[in-house]
Amino acid sequence: MPEEKKLSEKESLELIASMINKAKNSYIESGFGPLLWGTLITFCSLMTYAQIIFHFTIGFDIWLLSLLALIPQIYFSWRAKQQKNFTRHDETAMNYVWSTFVICIFFLSFYNYKTQPEYSVALYMMIYGVPTFITGGIRKFLPMIIGGVICWVCSIASFYTGFANGMLLMAISAASAWLIPGIILRKRYLKLKNV
Amino acid sequence: MFKELDPILHSQLRLAVMSLLIAVKEAEFTYIKEKTNATAGNLSVQVQKLKEAGYIEVVKQFKDNYPQTTCKITPVGVEAFEAYVQALQQYLHAGKG
Repeated sequence: MPEEKKLSEKESLELIASMINKAKNSYIESGFGPLLWGTLITFCSLMTYAQIIFHFTIGFDIWLLSLLALIPQIYFSWRAKQQKNFTRHDETAMNYVWSTFVICIFFLSFYNYKTQPEYSVALYMMIYGVPTFITGGIRKFLPMIIGGVICWVCSIASFYTGFANGMLLMAISAASAWLIPGIILRKRYLKLKNV
Repeated sequence: MFKELDPILHSQLRLAVMSLLIAVKEAEFTYIKEKTNATAGNLSVQVQKLKEAGYIEVVKQFKDNYPQTTCKITPVGVEAFEAYVQALQQYLHAGKG
């Protein structure tokens, strides 16, 4: 790009639009986080459902996998941060939203462990919907907005089902909130990477 | 009455840098270089001019033993950029009319 080329008014506006678009294209996320957590929570919910319905046990609490999944999540987040050479305007806000979510999930797990409430599944799905809906809204990503709403609908529905069907609803929530948006993000990311 | 186009911004590379920086919170020199396809020398000179005009903030530091230059648009820069875009629109509307 020449350093001092004078531009016409039209060229200036075109340049502004093209650079803003270039910056926006850098925003495209790899979809790793939503794919990982969407797959994991959907799988754990379905496995819990299957164990109840078909009367078998796998010998350990399947939800412990979510603690293991923290390892790749932390590693890939760290690696992405190292490679990234810009910061988005909404990044700090997003980090606070998802940190609050993680803290609430740990708090809720502790609460469930201490009190064994009847409708704990509903509480989880209600909390799943919050960061998903906010992220979808701020980043104008409709699949996550819809995913957040589905979490809340499933949360209400789970008050009228037993625990086993609640697990099915949880699988629907996780697939809608993270797995499907994660697949969409991944496809977009790979498409853009190959351009 | 037409507003005069800001001479600091009315230059291809400086306008490209400002347009990028308006779209992000902050960016490293390497990011700006990659997106503008400018040479490091050219870019350094133009970044310095924007800094001297008070339109951007430049922070030089070390990251993992490598020098890292980060640029961020200032409130004065945002104001100048907005005024520049408004002036451009005014010119274009006048041209159409």
